[in-house]
Amino acid sequence: MNESPIWRIKYLPKSLDEISGRENIRNRLREIIQNRNFPHLLFIGSEGIGKTTLARLFAKEFLGRYYDANFKLVHADVPLTSEERSQARSDAYVSTSKIGSMAGKRITTPAFIQVKIKPFVQLKVLGDVPFKILIVKNFDALGSNQQGFRRLMEIYGSNCRMILITTKISGIIDPIVSRCQLFLVPQVDFKSFSNLIHKIADEESLKIKDKVIEVLYKISKGKLSRAIDILQVSSSQGNTIDMNTLYENTRKFENELVRSLILLSFKGKFSKAREQARKIVSDYKFSSHELFTELLKVINKLPLSIYARIKLIDMIADADFRAIDGRDDDIQISTLLAKISKYAECM
Amino acid sequence: MAQKNKMEIPWVEKYRPVSLEEMALPTAKLNRQKVDLADELKNFIKSFFKEIKTINEKNKKIKAYNRTVSEKKQKEEKKLPTEKAAVLLEGQPGIGKTSIVYALANDLNMEVVETNASDTRTRDTLEAKLKETSKSRGIMDFITESKKKLILIDEVDGIYGTKDRGAVPAIMDIIKDTQFPIILCANDYKSNLSSLYNMIKRYEVHPLSNQEVVKITESIIKKEDIKNIKKEDIELIIEKNAGDLRGVINDLQAISHGAKKDDKDTQDLIYSLHRDTTEEIFGLIRDLFQKVGTLNEARSLTNKSDVDYNFLYKWVNENLPTFINQTDERAEAYENLSIADKIFGRIRNNMEWSLLPYFFDLFAGGVAIASKNKSSGFRRVSFPRYSSSASYSLNNAEKALIKKIRKQYSISQMEALRDFLPFLRILTNISRRKLKEVTDFLDLNTKEKNLLK
Repeated sequence: MNESPIWRIKYLPKSLDEISGRENIRNRLREIIQNRNFPHLLFIGSEGIGKTTLARLFAKEFLGRYYDANFKLVHADVPLTSEERSQARSDAYVSTSKIGSMAGKRITTPAFIQVKIKPFVQLKVLGDVPFKILIVKNFDALGSNQQGFRRLMEIYGSNCRMILITTKISGIIDPIVSRCQLFLVPQVDFKSFSNLIHKIADEESLKIKDKVIEVLYKISKGKLSRAIDILQVSSSQGNTIDMNTLYENTRKFENELVRSLILLSFKGKFSKAREQARKIVSDYKFSSHELFTELLKVINKLPLSIYARIKLIDMIADADFRAIDGRDDDIQISTLLAKISKYAECM
Repeated sequence: MAQKNKMEIPWVEKYRPVSLEEMALPTAKLNRQKVDLADELKNFIKSFFKEIKTINEKNKKIKAYNRTVSEKKQKEEKKLPTEKAAVLLEGQPGIGKTSIVYALANDLNMEVVETNASDTRTRDTLEAKLKETSKSRGIMDFITESKKKLILIDEVDGIYGTKDRGAVPAIMDIIKDTQFPIILCANDYKSNLSSLYNMIKRYEVHPLSNQEVVKITESIIKKEDIKNIKKEDIELIIEKNAGDLRGVINDLQAISHGAKKDDKDTQDLIYSLHRDTTEEIFGLIRDLFQKVGTLNEARSLTNKSDVDYNFLYKWVNENLPTFINQTDERAEAYENLSIADKIFGRIRNNMEWSLLPYFFDLFAGGVAIASKNKSSGFRRVSFPRYSSSASYSLNNAEKALIKKIRKQYSISQMEALRDFLPFLRILTNISRRKLKEVTDFLDLNTKEKNLLK
């Protein structure tokens, strides 16, 4: 296969050993691999720090050459397609010709579990491994379907072990937490981070100073993928990466669209601002609440007086609050923009 | 006037044709072939009863046989092919779809069982109403030879939303084991009904020609003895209704009551009767923003119109910036609109319909009054083309792009959209070469490539 032109894919770790830092967790996982047995696992840690990569590579090493047949990764936050939904509907009835107490009755399994998880966990293990491995990403998105999942963990637990991944443990019901071994995945430590960046710099023949790496570490907040992205974009301006190029390119990653949206409404260009807001919402598939939180982030970064800032935050909060009740998000977003331009005129 | 001492029934009912012979038949097409609708429907009903008879006899034998053997050897009961059990008539409103069904039933001495959009059509109500009719004959049928039934499901395309959930599968089930012929009527092709369309024959019914409409109108004018209407006015009515005969007759009735001697009044009346809602909304929006100065005026404006307020306040939202330019007036107007929206949400969520007057006052009056200096002159009114709920779903190009990304790099749809795609945009904007590398790597076509811009 050709080498990926996208660094974050190119430098994706290919084994547990290649993962930077987190020595503790890696040792625990290695132990599990040697014992050939483990309970269900629950990985907790903030966004983008590599929980999924960790879990996937662990599964890969645990299952060895039977990895492809016995592994599945499911995203709990991806809605079902219409075909999948209709399949779930047709699966939900047990035919009258079947024998047993369920004959002719309706199964009440949630559609998501019925379609995405059940077929995998029901099938037998293939090859010489003790069980299959299922990773469920963003597990908290299952919401009320978690109870149905709990049953699945009990019934098919011996056949398939599950690794649940989440950013917030509060979103997961207690019975599931108690059935799992917890792994608190921390951010990568600075030493390993700097090693990785040095490695990439060598490979791509970049020059980068330790001081700059320190800043990069702070900017990326432990997100390795983000750090590598910034590095790649910065590298396009030359092989030496100093503070200036770094800051300049980091700014590109800040959501310019949201920033310009606020600036447009400051200038009183309402129609343009509304077009922009609609574009953002449809491009990023933001709900109104998500757009308001983005706006809040930008407001906090703008050079404003404390009074102005508090006034703006108040407006955003009010709009968000109204959007919960309201029927039309667009009206609430437009209202906020109109109010901001009025306020900017007074300033 | 002639009809004063008579009971006032709508002329549409009064002049509904009682048999196919006296009816002006609309032309119809089946698979783009012109057909004679009356013949087709007659044949459909005749063949239906003939076939259902033979099938019922066969089923009787199968049932008798099934009782004698074990469960495994049982034969399945035969069913009529759905194509022969139901037909769909599709065409614009008021051209005689329902009339033709009633006239046909009258000719063949049948009874029509009708359900239309005014009934809620959940699965349960539909089944309660139709399934018993469609499956069996009543007890009375054994005693007397009762009328055969014809099932009419009108305004099929009006089935949508959560209110009518499960109605389409219910209709399909009913078609599958009906004992009586079914005729469905619809105005438009609806993609969510395609599974239904696949089961049955779909006739496109075309509007009557203008000459035919003129003929019918003249005969009604003669019968009702209307004198105060001119030939130009009749032409105007027909033109405005564009083939909608029901609309023409309704207009005629309204004019026979309301017209005065003055020609201009009659013409105004015709224009005001004109049922084109978009035109009406355009005028309404203009009036609201440019003429209304007090709450009372706004109230009477919204009361007068029969535009659905669900739409109307979205129109207000879309067009507000066009008519109100001043920053503080705009903010004030939007403030009122936003509270109106909040109230509307509470109304819909908690069924608090008593709050509706506040909603009306705020979204119409509150918005109109906010601007002190009315804009004058012509402003373009635009459609509320933006729907905030539709924006959460992915379009096809986005779906394809994310699928290709996920082939190379395992991330979820949301991560791809919010984290990876923005980065790809930054990366590919650096240089043409980078763009080419990335598109080659992910194997993107032009459409997907455009998403990176």
